Amino acid sequence: MNDFSELENELRKLRPAQPSSVLFERVGEALENSRAGIKERRSLASRWGGLETAHPWWSLGFGLAAAAVLILFAVVTMERREERQQSVAQNSAASETRPAPLGTKPYTSLGKFVPAGGTNVVYNARDEGLHFADGSERPLRRVRYNTQQTWRWRNPETGASLRVSYPSEEIVLIPVSGQ
Amino acid sequence: MEPIASHENWRNCFSEVAPGLLLFARQWVQSAADAEDIVQDAFVKFWRRNHDIDNRGLLYAAVRSLALDFIRRDARRARREATAFAEAEPPIDPHFELEDDTQSALAAAVESLPRDQREVLVLKIWNDLTFSEIAGALGISQNTAASRYRYALSNLKKTFQPQ
Repeated sequence: MNDFSELENELRKLRPAQPSSVLFERVGEALENSRAGIKERRSLASRWGGLETAHPWWSLGFGLAAAAVLILFAVVTMERREERQQSVAQNSAASETRPAPLGTKPYTSLGKFVPAGGTNVVYNARDEGLHFADGSERPLRRVRYNTQQTWRWRNPETGASLRVSYPSEEIVLIPVSGQ
Repeated sequence: MEPIASHENWRNCFSEVAPGLLLFARQWVQSAADAEDIVQDAFVKFWRRNHDIDNRGLLYAAVRSLALDFIRRDARRARREATAFAEAEPPIDPHFELEDDTQSALAAAVESLPRDQREVLVLKIWNDLTFSEIAGALGISQNTAASRYRYALSNLKKTFQPQ
């Protein structure tokens, strides 16, 4: 039938090494332990309301409770982070003033930092047409500017620098002369 | 599903399959002790889940999976074993119970086969698995299993001539 039958017979005569007798004891113990574990789980399940299903309701309850605690924790953490960010923003807004001209006495709130310059880049200007201010008969042209303002401070002793950059929007009303 | 307590015949079943399982596990690990650990874990899992012994392909798949996990977990040992294997040193624990020189030569020829051919041969000859069961256990097609078996026999025939 096939030309390997003689070889297959020779191979079958080879007997694999036998397992040690200890292995049988170990397997027996492991099965005994797992049986005890199953019995324990079943008795626990029956104690918690006689439920013997693979996924008892109480475990689902614990899972949901754990998930709720996690969500609560995440929400509290996010709120705290937002509060911190707001307080940081307020602090910088309160202390934010235009830097004094170069050479003047440095701000006390900035320690040894001295103003090193600033830029005000207008990246968008939109003419919004003529408007009349309240009670005025004179038209005004309203122009909206979107800018990015950047102010820099420098510590001459350490060479450290501080840079604050923020977007701003300005609306400028220009009187139109009636010539 | 029957509880485990009713399966008091595990001993009969295990004594029947253990030598072949150990030989299969030793395709990846040279140490007999490590192979016994792997076989124990696989058999206990298989038996605990009340799998039918007719569905034994699962048992061999579990042995293979645990052996591969073992190799990944213990990379240093695996390197050492790979080196020992590459240097063709005789294993400390023989894979077979050898009776004469002919059997020694045949065992050596089997051990020199490429691993993918050897594992199919081990499952077919010493574990009596069908090609369908081998395919399931190794995650290959039935045709691949059959062709690896033929390659294994062909290679053995080239290197081994019965006296």
